[in-house]
Amino acid sequence: MKNSISTTKWFSFRNVSIILLIAYFAIFLIYPVFRAFLGSFHDWNPLIQQFDFIGWENYSYILSDSLFWSSISNTLVFTFFSTLFRVVIGLGLALLLFSKMTKFRTAFQGLFYMPTITPLVAVSFVWMWMFDPQFGLINKVFNLDINWLKDSTWALPAIIIMTVWKDFGYATVLFLAGMMGLPDEVYEASTIDGANSWQTFRHITAPLLKPTTIFVVITSLISYLQAYIQILIMTKGGPGTSTFVISYLIFDEAFVGYNFGTASAMAIILFIIIGILTIIMFKVTGEGGIKNA
Amino acid sequence: MRNKSILTILLNTILLILSIITIIPFVWMLVSAFAPNSEIVRIDGGLFPRPSTFDNFLSIQERFNFVRLFLNSLLISISTTAIVIYTSALFGFIFAKFNFKGKNILFGVVLSTLMLPWAVTIIPKYEMMVTFGWLDSYKSLIIPSMVSGFGIFLFRQAIAGISDEMIEAARVDGGSDFYIFHRIILPMSRNTIASLAIFQFLWSWEDFLWPYLMINDSSKQLLSVGLRQFNGQYGTDYGGLFAATALSIIPIIIVYLVFQKRFISGIASGSGK
Repeated sequence: MKNSISTTKWFSFRNVSIILLIAYFAIFLIYPVFRAFLGSFHDWNPLIQQFDFIGWENYSYILSDSLFWSSISNTLVFTFFSTLFRVVIGLGLALLLFSKMTKFRTAFQGLFYMPTITPLVAVSFVWMWMFDPQFGLINKVFNLDINWLKDSTWALPAIIIMTVWKDFGYATVLFLAGMMGLPDEVYEASTIDGANSWQTFRHITAPLLKPTTIFVVITSLISYLQAYIQILIMTKGGPGTSTFVISYLIFDEAFVGYNFGTASAMAIILFIIIGILTIIMFKVTGEGGIKNA
Repeated sequence: MRNKSILTILLNTILLILSIITIIPFVWMLVSAFAPNSEIVRIDGGLFPRPSTFDNFLSIQERFNFVRLFLNSLLISISTTAIVIYTSALFGFIFAKFNFKGKNILFGVVLSTLMLPWAVTIIPKYEMMVTFGWLDSYKSLIIPSMVSGFGIFLFRQAIAGISDEMIEAARVDGGSDFYIFHRIILPMSRNTIASLAIFQFLWSWEDFLWPYLMINDSSKQLLSVGLRQFNGQYGTDYGGLFAATALSIIPIIIVYLVFQKRFISGIASGSGK
């Protein structure tokens, strides 16, 4: 085995690995993307073996469909608030945990991380019952009378609450790791110079945490723009269309309606939206975030 | 000094309250799993139903083949996680320590998978699996998930931090790249292996749509899909649902407890540090 690697130069560890990776990507990445792009210009239904070219018809149908536009707007609302609260709570908690006055840091950190490592399907069920108007804990604790998931005003906020609860711990851990990576001397110097804790945060911690923040914001954007499991389990897009998000719409179009062409066109549009938002984030922050990480 | 101790108490109290908010849904689920249905839906009851029975756990298996689905999920998640860790370390090593033509383009492709929505590729992959005749076979669950862009990225960052001299020294001693990868790189990547193990196990364990599309045979189905069907069919058996859901999160908690020590340093190296 060892001999065969060194005797022929072409057949090296490096080359075999690269070829395997390229082959794998060709089959499970490049081809599917190409196929989806092509399919978005076709009337494509696998049940009746249909694959007919129809030009831009899928796109013009989608862009004139009001359900598509309400899904886009729900997706943006969901993404914006989930990302915002995740970052704010994550950063706030990380600052508390980082403080020298905090006892049992590891224990707290472990607790805050629990929702993150719990499967989303399970968490969605638990929260469906938490929001139950009859026996749910939320209404009991806060003495409310809201039919959370069946009320079109409250359904999307309920899903955002559950999502933030599930995900803030990951942000906390990333911020905390970022803070621990900062050199101690910087803090000592600022304490000696008489800076109070707000000044230290404002002028030292915050700028140094910028790469971590960019990382958390961008990964949150990417995952929330294509979230659908919570919707599928908790509301199925309802009541009415108040929690239809774009990825749930795509799932519905593709695997309930079997309109593969329309669903592919929507997926391509979603891809473009994610691409544009990611590029904007990089431009606004003026850093390579992920790339120079 | 007095101010400081008040501040300390305040700070720790805030943390305590927040951690109670964090774990209360788990506690509530666990308590309810041991309560009879009549107790769970009681309107005039307290915040928590009174736990008094093991019946919910015993009745799950009568309603659907819980043990079988649980073991199926375990098999798929463990094999996928092991394979993904190996391929991620391998390709991460290649990107971190070798030069070749088109390296940047190929790494760009790896990064692009991080922002490619699942919705773009799932339809063509579904069609591909139908063509291959892999429906109802675990090939369809494992083979398309063998490579992870996130994993490759994580390992590239970590392995780039391993000194070139050490690798050179091993080469001078006659170690092949194959040997270096298995005997030096992999053992030195324990933190990264730990964090990827947690993430990947979770992702495989909670994956819903793909097994739902690929597996029709109910005895081959995975737990996440089974849970939803169980919920659809026996939507009023809350105790049973609480119990099944509680059991479904045990494996991932075990994985987390096993790997958590190395976990923080593992993710820190991938996020900009």
